[in-house]
Amino acid sequence: MSKVVELCGEIPSNFEKVDFSSNPNFVFENDPVFTAKQLFDEEGNTVFVNSFVECEHYVTGGWEFLPLKNNEVQMLDMMLYVVIALLVFTYSKNFVKRYIK
Amino acid sequence: MTLKKDYFVYILIILILFLPWFNSDSDQISFIPELSQEDNPFYEINPCKISLFEFFNANKKSLFQDHYFFRPNNDSSINCFGKITGISVQQKNLETEFIVSVGTNSLVNFLLQGSLWLLLISFVKKTNLVAKSNFRFHEIAILATSYLLTYSIYAQQRFYEANIYLLDLSKNSSYILIFLIFLFLTKNLIELYIARSSKLINMVPFIFLLSGIFSGSNLVLFSFIFIYSGIKALFEKKYNKKIVTTYLVLSFWWLINSNGSFYFNPGKFRGFTNSVYEFNSNLYWIIFFLLLVLGVLRELHLHLEYFNLQEFSKYFSISSAVILITGLIGSNFPSLNFLATYYFGLQRNVVELTNPFIFDEFGVKISWRGMSPSSETIGEFFGLCLLINLFSILQKSNLDKYNYIGILSSGIGLYFSDNRTSILIVFVIVLFFFVRANNQVMDIVKKHSKKIKISFSISAIIMLYIFLQTDTYTFYSESLLGNSQLYQYDSIFSSYLNLLNFSFEEENFLFYVFGFFSVLGYLLNRAEMWGIFFARYNPTAMELVVGSGPLTLGQLYGEIKIEDLSSFLLPHSSLLSYIVYFGLLPTIYGLYILFSAMKKNKSNTMFLSVSIYMILNIIKNDSLNYFPVFVLYVYLLIIFNKFSFATEKS
Repeated sequence: MSKVVELCGEIPSNFEKVDFSSNPNFVFENDPVFTAKQLFDEEGNTVFVNSFVECEHYVTGGWEFLPLKNNEVQMLDMMLYVVIALLVFTYSKNFVKRYIK
Repeated sequence: MTLKKDYFVYILIILILFLPWFNSDSDQISFIPELSQEDNPFYEINPCKISLFEFFNANKKSLFQDHYFFRPNNDSSINCFGKITGISVQQKNLETEFIVSVGTNSLVNFLLQGSLWLLLISFVKKTNLVAKSNFRFHEIAILATSYLLTYSIYAQQRFYEANIYLLDLSKNSSYILIFLIFLFLTKNLIELYIARSSKLINMVPFIFLLSGIFSGSNLVLFSFIFIYSGIKALFEKKYNKKIVTTYLVLSFWWLINSNGSFYFNPGKFRGFTNSVYEFNSNLYWIIFFLLLVLGVLRELHLHLEYFNLQEFSKYFSISSAVILITGLIGSNFPSLNFLATYYFGLQRNVVELTNPFIFDEFGVKISWRGMSPSSETIGEFFGLCLLINLFSILQKSNLDKYNYIGILSSGIGLYFSDNRTSILIVFVIVLFFFVRANNQVMDIVKKHSKKIKISFSISAIIMLYIFLQTDTYTFYSESLLGNSQLYQYDSIFSSYLNLLNFSFEEENFLFYVFGFFSVLGYLLNRAEMWGIFFARYNPTAMELVVGSGPLTLGQLYGEIKIEDLSSFLLPHSSLLSYIVYFGLLPTIYGLYILFSAMKKNKSNTMFLSVSIYMILNIIKNDSLNYFPVFVLYVYLLIIFNKFSFATEKS
């Protein structure tokens, strides 16, 4: 599943990617069918998007961070290191004991 | 058991017990209000901010008032561990009940609960009496055990997706962490166990106290030992080849037959039941059951010589007393109830029935289950404790303080549990031993043994004949079928109910066999429960003969719709459950082996007493579906089959 689908929902059938670079004053129109979404960037800044087009634009531009999920991923990484450390300790303890014997 | 002077271990245990529940994120919160119906929103808008101890501090009444209920929320983030994740308020008559959800992440549970239990096992003094085995096999068996446990998570994704927060179980990489956690636990557990195994055989009753089921999982810590030992038995080729080959042939059939997908919420069977009737999950439970049985047999084979009835009785008594006290305290203090449930690794929270003497409006005693998942199961345990204490007293012709503790606690516990079958069987066995010990009575019995046998047989035949002629028998013998028909839904009939309807119309052989079973069910107050079972039971001819696979109830509960029930009801008979698992043929063969052993060993009164006690309880209770009961029963049967007063004296 792509980040866009994960954060913005299913891609609408009539969706067309717009090139904003030619129009720096482009204003996003609200989509009444679209449920507003809150997006986060790497530094924890937040923005609310009101249409799929707007959401897709922000997500592809780097506003793809989920604080809760990121936090959990970090915690899981930390847990992995803790378990590896515990395993190293467990095996080395036995090895040293056997070596001394 | 000797306590170590290793203060580091004590500090570690205290940290594991208390530190997680101080985890807080309430820096921005200046005041934590006391929980009330009005102030509930505070807790709703601040999930995962307040630690459990902060909650206790703000709500001191929650420590002891019985309308607070603390529940672990295993599907919460690691960051939320030990914090209040939500509160729901419900009105029950005039009382407002608060259900407080406490964050307990399943992966952290593996490490936290596992570490605590390992530290507790480390308190048992090392013995090193058993010869060390091949080092390479040992390490391979540990790796294979960890791999199998990891596979259990993969195979039961449907259960674990609801219990493991944000870990994508469809990705293989997610299993690396899980495998390493299991490797850490298995390696340490096995090392600790091997160094103490000859002592631990007498401590088996403790598995009723420390169930060792990880919160939010379908795994029991102590099963790791038997899986490991089962793998070792396969390496060492120490198993009955005929039985294992037959089991493998049956396994092949069970796997081919794994059609459809039926989810079964493990509930109070957690740790010893298949949560999804699917190929992978069935495969795991087939391997698990084989290794468990091989492992238990191997451990008994290796350590039987270290069995000591007095030690065994002592630990039974201690377990019984602690189970009773913990149950009483836990039911009156919600806070301790939660902590006991978590740290003892229980299937269900400690009972919330504060008064164990209570009767309902019809004057029937309400059964009390304490910290056990079922009142009948704990009743069986207390009954067994009384029997073991009886054997211990008979062996040494004396009573020590542990006998007093055991008899008192298990006597009270048995009354609280209201397991009348156990009470009756224990009473009859005690009476038997009392009569046997009385020389005058025994002389009379021996002198008139022929007359007594003849008069008993004739009376029994006459009574049976009269009973069969009365309407009472007809009513009793049709009670099961009547109940099955009552719960059968619309035009959906289970295959077994169809078979019963047919046999009752034709009055064939099954009519008489089932009629007898129905009478038994009625007398044991199981007519309704077993009736519901047969309304559900929908086997094919092969499934009836060889079952659907070990510990698999998903198919039974998912295949056939029956009338709505007020609550989820289990079969209430281990015998019926095992017929679902293994079919009629292997179950009858298992019973045949047991009865043959009883016949062969009829002079061993301890073995006979324990066997009869178990058989009667197995018929009317789900107890063999609980891991501790299964292990304890196999241990007791094999130990007492080999061990008697005579062998002890010799």
